[in-house]
Amino acid sequence: MKKSLMIFALVLLMTALFTAGVFAQKTTIRYFMWDPEFQEMERGLVEEFEKENPDIEVEFTALEPTNYWPKISAMAAAGELPDVFNMSSGYIDQWAQDGLLMNIQDKVDELPQDDYFTRVFSTLRYPDKTESDMYGIPYAWVTTVLYYNKDMFDAAGVEYPNEDWTWEDFRKAAEELTIDENGDGVPEVYGHWWYGRYAHVEPWVYANGGRILNDLKTRIDVDEKAREALQFLGDLSNKYNVSPPKKDVVGIRQQDMFPLQQTAMWVDGSWNIQHVRDMGQGAFDWGIAKVPQGPSAEPGEYEAYGWPDSLVISKESEHKEAAWKLIKYLIGKNRPVDSYMAGKVPILKSLAESDEWLETDNDPEEIEIVLELGELMGRTSFTIGWGEWRGYADTGGSGMNGVLDSVTNGEMTVDEAVEEFTEHGNTVLERYYEE
Amino acid sequence: MKYKKITPWLFLIPTLLGLVFFRLGPMLAAGLASFTRWNVFSPPKWIGLGNYIELFSSGTFRMILKNTLIFSGLFVPGVMIAALFLALLVNNRLRGMTFFRGLFYLPVITSVVSIGVIWSWILSPRFGLLYQLVSKFFNIARLPSFLGQPEYALYTLIFVYVWKMAGYQMILFLAGLQNIPQVYYEAATIDGASIWQKFRYITLPLLTPTTFFVLIISIIMSLKTFELTYIMTQGGPNYASTTLIYSIYVNAFKHFRMGYASAMSYILFIIVAVFTYLNFKYKKRWVHYSE
Repeated sequence: MKKSLMIFALVLLMTALFTAGVFAQKTTIRYFMWDPEFQEMERGLVEEFEKENPDIEVEFTALEPTNYWPKISAMAAAGELPDVFNMSSGYIDQWAQDGLLMNIQDKVDELPQDDYFTRVFSTLRYPDKTESDMYGIPYAWVTTVLYYNKDMFDAAGVEYPNEDWTWEDFRKAAEELTIDENGDGVPEVYGHWWYGRYAHVEPWVYANGGRILNDLKTRIDVDEKAREALQFLGDLSNKYNVSPPKKDVVGIRQQDMFPLQQTAMWVDGSWNIQHVRDMGQGAFDWGIAKVPQGPSAEPGEYEAYGWPDSLVISKESEHKEAAWKLIKYLIGKNRPVDSYMAGKVPILKSLAESDEWLETDNDPEEIEIVLELGELMGRTSFTIGWGEWRGYADTGGSGMNGVLDSVTNGEMTVDEAVEEFTEHGNTVLERYYEE
Repeated sequence: MKYKKITPWLFLIPTLLGLVFFRLGPMLAAGLASFTRWNVFSPPKWIGLGNYIELFSSGTFRMILKNTLIFSGLFVPGVMIAALFLALLVNNRLRGMTFFRGLFYLPVITSVVSIGVIWSWILSPRFGLLYQLVSKFFNIARLPSFLGQPEYALYTLIFVYVWKMAGYQMILFLAGLQNIPQVYYEAATIDGASIWQKFRYITLPLLTPTTFFVLIISIIMSLKTFELTYIMTQGGPNYASTTLIYSIYVNAFKHFRMGYASAMSYILFIIVAVFTYLNFKYKKRWVHYSE
C-alpha cells in the first residue's frame, strides 16, 4: 500500500515537472483592471492578444474600485504588484514618488505621437508636469462639458449655448430658464446646477485661466481669476437663485438632476453622456457645449479641464517587455469601441473619430466638441493628497468640496470658503511637499 | 479516559490561533503603526508621537470626538427607552402580538443600505415624502434640510439609527420581562399597587441585569456605527456628522493614512475601555440579580 502511494506521488511529481518544462518558455504577466462592468470585453481583448503573442500568457483580474485600491496597495506593500494595472490621475504622483512605477518615457517616445491625444499625457509626468518623464500611458481620457436641455431652451425661447457665449450670457440664460411657478422661492426647475464637486467647479476656474495651486502644485494658492470664477458660481446660487443649494439636493444623486429635468444646464464629466442617455431615455432633447470662456481668460487661449485613465507597469515587473507589448495592444486599434462608455474617449484618435464612437444618430449631436476639447487640455489640480484636500467621493462632505457646498447653502461667503480650504489644503499638502 | 493538562489546550488551538493572528496580531500591529507615517503601499516611517500630536492639535478631530460623544450620549438612552417601551407593549398577551413583535424587529434585519437609501429619500427636500406631506397638510413653506444642514445632520443619523436598532434591544428586554415571575405582580395587585408603581418597583429593578447587558451592547453599537453615515451623509456637511469610526475608515482606506487612522483607532479603543470599566465599576450600585 505504502509503496503504491510512493509510486503515485513520484508519477505526479514527474508529470508536474514535465508540464512545467513544456510551458517554461511562456511568459506569464498579470493584468489588474478596475472596471468589472467591462470585464468580459476586456477579457476578449486580452485573449486576442494572447493569440497574437503565443509566448505570453496574461492573468487577468477585474475588481470594483472600492476593492481595487486596497488590494493593489496591499500587493505593492508585499512586493507583489501585477505587471500591468490601471492607475488614476489622482494617485499617480504618489505612486511615482514612492518608486513603484516604471518610467516608460522611452517606450512612449517610440509611439507615433500624432495618432494619440497627447495633451492629456502631462498628467502622467512626474514630478514636473511639462518636462518630466511619463510613468503611465492613458487608454482613455475624459473632459468636462456643459450639458443643456434643448426642450427647456426652446420653451423659454433662449438661444442654445454657442462658442461666443460669455459668462454674462450664461447667467442670463440661467435666469430665464429658472422656473418658480408657485412663487414659493424654491424653483421647480433651475437654470443650472453646481456644488463643490471638482467636475463642477474646476472647469470654470480653468476656462477663466485661473489657478487654485501654485506653479509647482505644492501649495493651494487661489489667484484672482480663480476667485472670480468661484464668485461667479457663488452668485448663481445666492444672488440670482438659479442653482439649488446643496442641502436641498439630498436623497437624489447629483448626476440625476439633469436627466430628471430638474435643471436646464449642468457642467460635469463627459462620461455622464452615457448616464444622461440611459436615464433620460429620450424623454427630452439635449446637447453639449464648451463651458463658456471666462472674462479674464486670454482670448483665443481656451483651457479645457480633463484627465486620463491610465495603464502603468510595475517597477518590479520581471517581464517589462511583455508588459509593454500588452499595453500597446490595450491602447491600440483592436480595442472595441463598446468598451468605452459614451463620453469616455479612446486615446487613439482613429478610434475616437470612428462613426462607432461618435454615434451621430444619438444625443448629443455635438459630441465632436469632446474631441475638440481634447486638443485644448490644460492643467489639472491633481496632487498627492488630492482626494483629501479636495474632498472627493466618500469624503465629498469635507475639504474644498465641503466648504463650497456651504457657499451654495448661503452659509459661507466665497472669501471665507477660499480662506478655509486654503488653510486646510495646505496642512494636507505640507505633509507631502516640504519646502 | 484520563485527560492530560494539555488536552483542553489542544482543542483550543484553532480558536487561539485565530485570536492571535486575526485579532491580537492586527491590534498590536495597529499600535505600532500609530507611531508611523504609512500609506500602505510603501514602507512605514517612524514618526514617534507625531500622529497623536496632530490629532490633538486638530480642530477637526476635536469636532469628530465631540460628534462621537454626542452620538453615543443620545443614541444609548434613546434606543434603550424606545426598546423598553416597545418591549412593554409587545409583552401584552393580545391577539396578533407576534405580528407586532416581528414588525418592530423588521428594521433590524433589513439591510442598512436599504434603510439609509430609503430614509434619504424620505428626507429629501426636493422629492421626499416628509416634505410633500408637510407642505400638503401644514402651511409651512419650508422645512430645514435634515440631512443637508450641519445643525441637524448628526441628530438625523441618531434618530434613524435608533429607529433601526430599537427592535434588537426590544427582543432582549422582552426576554428579560418574561423572566420576571408573575407572582410579584399578583401580590402587588392585591396590595393595590398602580400600574406605574408595579413598573417602578417590580419591573425596573428585576430587569436591571438585562438593562445592564443592553447598556453595554448599545454603547458598543453606538461607537461602531459606520454604514449609515456612509450612505446618508458621508460624514458631511463639513464633518458635521463624522464620527470617529467613519473618520478612521476614510483616513485608512480613502486617504491611505494608515498610521493616522491607527492612532485614531487606539483613541477609540481607550474610550471603549473607559466606558466598559465605568460600567463594571458602578454595576453593583444598580444591578440586582434575583437569587
